[in-house]
Amino acid sequence: MSRIAPKLLLATALFAGGAAVRAADLYIICNSQISLDQAGVRELFLGEKQFVGALKLVPVDNSAAQSLFLGRVLNMSAERYSVAWVKKSFRDGINPPGVVGSDAEALASVRRIPGACSYVTTPPATGVAVIGRL
Amino acid sequence: MRTTRYAPTTCARAWLSLALATSLGLTPTAHAAEDDKARITELEQKLDESLKMIRELSNKVEALEAREAQRTSAAGAAAAGTAAAAGTAAAAATASAAVPPGPANPTPTAPVGAATPGAPPVVGPPAPADTGARLTHLEETVSQMANAPQRAEDRGMAMHGFADVGAGTHNAQFPKYQGADIAELDFFLTPQLGARTRALFELNFEVGADGEVGVDLERAQIGYQFSDSATIWLGRFHTPYGYYNTAFHHGQWIAISLRRTRFLEFEDHGGTMPAHTVGLWLTGSQRLGEQRLTYDAWIGNSQRITGGTIDMNNAGVTAGSTMFGGNIGLLMSGVLDGLKVGLDAFQTRIENQDVAPSQFTQVQSYGAYVVYDTDRWEDIAEWHFFDNTDLTGHTGTHHSDAGFVQIGYRGGRFTPYGRYERGSFNQSDPYFAAQTSGNSYDREALGVRFDIDLSSALKMEFAETRYTDRYLTRYGEALLQYAIRF
Repeated sequence: MSRIAPKLLLATALFAGGAAVRAADLYIICNSQISLDQAGVRELFLGEKQFVGALKLVPVDNSAAQSLFLGRVLNMSAERYSVAWVKKSFRDGINPPGVVGSDAEALASVRRIPGACSYVTTPPATGVAVIGRL
Repeated sequence: MRTTRYAPTTCARAWLSLALATSLGLTPTAHAAEDDKARITELEQKLDESLKMIRELSNKVEALEAREAQRTSAAGAAAAGTAAAAGTAAAAATASAAVPPGPANPTPTAPVGAATPGAPPVVGPPAPADTGARLTHLEETVSQMANAPQRAEDRGMAMHGFADVGAGTHNAQFPKYQGADIAELDFFLTPQLGARTRALFELNFEVGADGEVGVDLERAQIGYQFSDSATIWLGRFHTPYGYYNTAFHHGQWIAISLRRTRFLEFEDHGGTMPAHTVGLWLTGSQRLGEQRLTYDAWIGNSQRITGGTIDMNNAGVTAGSTMFGGNIGLLMSGVLDGLKVGLDAFQTRIENQDVAPSQFTQVQSYGAYVVYDTDRWEDIAEWHFFDNTDLTGHTGTHHSDAGFVQIGYRGGRFTPYGRYERGSFNQSDPYFAAQTSGNSYDREALGVRFDIDLSSALKMEFAETRYTDRYLTRYGEALLQYAIRF
């Protein structure tokens, strides 16, 4: 019984979390105000776009919102995204985006790293630039 | 307009707990379909870690509250002293504490409790801006604690690798062998050297035609990225003709199929094209509306043939020849997302050092490719045509061609594929005649890839190969491969 209760709690959290992700808005955030359309965001997270002017962009994946992001922006599965980066890295010598595990961590990373861009499902507070909402 | 958005610190603790619980719920959703027991164990561990984190955060909040209380107490004492000295000043200070921060009063005012000396200070709720700063700090602390091993800017040098082993009625690369085999262990380094400097090294331990393990620096290139549209590399790289030679490298895990096509194999595995070049490579891409134009231009050492095999002249050339070429492609989007078409051409002068005096052949190649790579399909068609001129024997120009068509369908963890390939090499051409694997052939293959997980795959292939000129023979193959990445 003592092991069932946490499992039920976790299952409820998972269900609630999944429902929250499906219903959520997706905010594309960057360290500074830059102009990127949806195609530009796609290229950024696929390693095709690395600069805006002289600014080096640093994509940061947020695993808490990644399925939403992959579906809405990149239109690809997590498996294909992973393989695409292996191929990209293998061909072009660039590393895949760093990964954080929550909106709070994504916000913290974007605030801290010049050129960083990520995505969150909660409306971001101050300190980051929202360049798109999907 | 800034408003009072933050609750007291006791509520902040609850907020953080809720955020952690929510993130705990969100994090594993993408992988929930995997093995339940392992997931539950992992989640329980995460829950334990989160509870520990909550305890640590609670301690931090309490410490902050204690510090705040001390600070407020000191402020209260000072205010009390002021009130005693100046009468009505305390009432004014108390009134100001009730004003929420805003544009007209942007600086939060510390609450003043007891103006009466000796009474305990009344600690009111902290001002919103102060609480916001604390929460921001705590968020960053959580981030650092929870994610320290993989912070985006702290990855240092990334090293990846590939390896594969196999078994079959023939060795997949060297058909004279049969049984079990080890193929290669490939280390791949991409050190991050700065915003614009890039480097890529690939060190491969592989079994050669003699059955011995050899080590080869397959790629060693250092580049400077001017922009998204232009990166220049210097070093040894995969010659960017066609699509396959740069899209797929030594790690066989990356490809759907069990092996490369025979004519596109690496030089020491029987390939008949110069797979590597040592030189300068300019590459990049540019958006054209919704499409993307890709290009490559390169110049480097010409290759030589020694021991019946192409060598890329790592140390430089002695005969002073160069290789140069270009590749242009168009990557579609929208309804054609995943489709890429392209053309390429190169020219080089190959020295055959297996005869004395050396023979020289001017190799000219033109190619075209079409690729359709989506979640479901990986289809590739690539063809190369050769107009090679005998510069020593003066036997004229000889025409040859080689190409393949491959269709793969990703059906979940199973990816069946089929491939037809053909090399029609003119045996009067000294370039092909000098190569051990320069005979004409065709091959049909059917196979399936099974992805055990995201890092390992099992592949089976049945193939039939026919040699059609220098030798007249055929053989069938049943091949098995276990390929991983790490």
